[in-house]
Amino acid sequence: MNHTWAMAIDLDRCTGCGACVVACNAENNIPVIGEAEAGKNRLMHWIRVNRYWEGEYPEAQAVYLPIPCMQCERAPCELVCPVYATYHNEDGLNAMVYNRCIGTRYCANNCPYSVRVFNWYDYKWEKPLDEQLSPDLTVRSRGVMEKCTFCIQRIRRAKETAAEEGREIRDGEVVPACVQTCPPGAMLFGDLADPHSEITRKLKDPRRFRLMEHLGTEPRVVYLKRQKGAGR
Amino acid sequence: MSAEAPRADDHHLAKTDETAMFERLSRSNLVTTWKWYLGVGVAGAVLLWGLIVFLYMAMVGMGVTGYNKPVFWGLYEASLVFWIGLSHSGTLISAILRLTHATWRAPVLRGAEAMTAFTLMVGGLIPIVHLGRNWRVYYALPYPSSRELWPNMRSPLMWDAMAITTYLIGSLTFLYVGMIPDLALLRDKSAGGRRKFYSALSLGFRGTHAQWRRYHVASTLFAILIIPIAVSVHSIVSWDFAMAKVPGWHSTIFAPYFVVGAIFSGIAGVVIVMAILRKAFRLESVLTPLHFDNLGKLLCTMTLLWGYFYFTEFLTVWYNRNPEEWEVFSSYAGPYLPLFLTMIVCNFVIPFPMLCLKRVRRSISLILVPAISIVIGMYAERLLIVIPSLARRNDPFIWANYFPTWVEFSVMAGAAAMFVLLYMLFAKFFPIMAISDIKERLFHTADRTIGGTTVESIAQVEGEEEAHA
Amino acid sequence: MSTVIVGLFDGVETAARAGRALQGLSLPAGSVTTISAVPLPEGAVVTDPEPIRFPKIVIAGWFVGAAAGLGLTLATYMLYPLVTGGKTIVSVPPTLIITYEVAMLGAVLATLFGSGREMGLLRFPPKAIHDPRIHDGKIALCARVEGDEQARRTIEAMREAGGTEVRAEEGEL
Repeated sequence: MNHTWAMAIDLDRCTGCGACVVACNAENNIPVIGEAEAGKNRLMHWIRVNRYWEGEYPEAQAVYLPIPCMQCERAPCELVCPVYATYHNEDGLNAMVYNRCIGTRYCANNCPYSVRVFNWYDYKWEKPLDEQLSPDLTVRSRGVMEKCTFCIQRIRRAKETAAEEGREIRDGEVVPACVQTCPPGAMLFGDLADPHSEITRKLKDPRRFRLMEHLGTEPRVVYLKRQKGAGR
Repeated sequence: MSAEAPRADDHHLAKTDETAMFERLSRSNLVTTWKWYLGVGVAGAVLLWGLIVFLYMAMVGMGVTGYNKPVFWGLYEASLVFWIGLSHSGTLISAILRLTHATWRAPVLRGAEAMTAFTLMVGGLIPIVHLGRNWRVYYALPYPSSRELWPNMRSPLMWDAMAITTYLIGSLTFLYVGMIPDLALLRDKSAGGRRKFYSALSLGFRGTHAQWRRYHVASTLFAILIIPIAVSVHSIVSWDFAMAKVPGWHSTIFAPYFVVGAIFSGIAGVVIVMAILRKAFRLESVLTPLHFDNLGKLLCTMTLLWGYFYFTEFLTVWYNRNPEEWEVFSSYAGPYLPLFLTMIVCNFVIPFPMLCLKRVRRSISLILVPAISIVIGMYAERLLIVIPSLARRNDPFIWANYFPTWVEFSVMAGAAAMFVLLYMLFAKFFPIMAISDIKERLFHTADRTIGGTTVESIAQVEGEEEAHA
Repeated sequence: MSTVIVGLFDGVETAARAGRALQGLSLPAGSVTTISAVPLPEGAVVTDPEPIRFPKIVIAGWFVGAAAGLGLTLATYMLYPLVTGGKTIVSVPPTLIITYEVAMLGAVLATLFGSGREMGLLRFPPKAIHDPRIHDGKIALCARVEGDEQARRTIEAMREAGGTEVRAEEGEL
């Protein structure tokens, strides 16, 4: 059965804590690049938490927007890669093939959400930090693009387990690292092809919106608008 | 049959000492000065430095450059557009002047065509330089491999690859075929190893009537073919940007705008190269103020055209105030103000008034001012297209500025040195003046007395008619 | 390998005089030609009866290139049909662009090889008639003759018209 993976992020619950970022870094062998490189705007976070300020002091408010890869149905990044290093797979995910990438960085330029990240160096994990690397996915070499994959390794693991046990993937069985870690439970992941899944029900919420929808990318990450009421 | 006294040859070629002319025009081939060795040495050294720095970058990673997120394209890609733009010099001048039978074209042809070929070689190497994994560039080549993977032809970068390949082969062919009669001349005038070299290259061209007829048709055909290729190449290079979802890039005007900008910078480049050739090889008698006057008029037209296209684009964005595009344009008043001012001043404010004056156009030293200014201004324009659009793109949270590092400057300096080196080597071993075309022009020119004055009259030998079999 | 009478002339007008004289000798068309450093207009000294054929090869080359480009694009799409950006597998506009570029390349190469072949380049025929003095302003008039009588009359006609160094050579015209 083909799946339609999607993610829902409830901005009412997001506190901007950044635990999703840390979890993603840990799960996906993302290097810590250091303060100097971060100062040069080369952060390697696959999911980032945008912070915007609303209003002036003393009523200034921070608005947090976690941005993973939108896994766009009409992904502009897929079109411009000259070597098919990124394409749309059957699960509706935007797949990234590290071994094929030659590093033209055109896909990164074409992503309006700027979720794509480039390996500027061969990053090292000094011992014993190399023992934290997940064996389920590679460590990317320099010159290669990477981005959030909806933790495709976890999706694959769930598919294999379900196939072994001769059943379909249950709702809630696949949980990306960020969704798993989010303390206030702002993130939800599931299969939109399943009419009974929690995410299908959640995305009937009238608060739903998608980022930069006017660009026609048809993202698979749906946000639920922050309510503004008393005390907010 | 009685012997009628033949009319005397009254064309200018009959009045020319062809051996002396050959030695004058071939000075670059016949005489090697210490200045040439110095030039080649310096260019070679800078090229070597650029190569070493490039290898360093390839081994350590792109991080040694100034690139970041979101500015993933910077000096390298702007330089790519710049060098490909310069390559429109020779093609368009040589091809268009040939097709329109412009009588002054002969001394300019070879130098301009050579400039096209070598700027294109430099520009064609830059896509390899800017890759994150340069050693895997062959993934982008369409050939059947055991990987069973083919490149994605939907990507504008693949269109680039095909277009630049076609243009490179086309312009090298155009240059080479144009040289064949001159190579035959050099073959006949040289001895020993040089003679063998030119013999091989001239492919046995002798100058028989049948050969000349076909040669003329071939030259015309090349000129006809190379113009659409040139237009398509820079349109495709512009589509690297126009196809993207980047504010400030996604504009339908990019294709004609880039082509105009390319011709603009190309002609300025030709003026500079011609001025240098004239001085270096003492070609004052052939590259006259008339030639620079005509090139200057072309350049003036292009200044206006460029200004027109730029104003159109600016007006459209300014009027609409589409927020995403407006943020990009606002940055021209901010961190990118120096670049913006350089571009406007160097592309329009300095050149246009100067090029309107005949006194400027006819003076070699004076016309160099707008020409050099335009080359600088066009480089700034390329940078201004690439960088601010990425630095101020859709998501304000990740906005960042970009400045190149010593690595990028070194590699690009090496690229420029490569052009200089290639050109100097070409001028040394190949005829830098289209001697046959110059002779042909002299052959067609005669003095004609009209009333009390004598003027130069140039025969228009129309295109080859098919022989009546 | 045939007998060719070669005469050197100081300029176009004297060469044309000789050309007219040779016309009177009824040599077959295409057996008289000039060798010159600049192209001489058709009919100035000699005419060339052979039609120029290679432009047809150029057109053929364009179509061959277009077919190659089309084939290349379609093959790359269909051999590994990956969905990118929601576009169809066979995307038309890029196909047009690649087809056009390879077509132009085909036309350029066809012009190069077609014209080269028709000009007789790259064949380096042994003993092709040539005189390097054409680069000093001379024009060489060459006539291929059969038999001694024709040769004698041709030499006479050329000398009378003002040719210098009129001689018989064995070679290809």
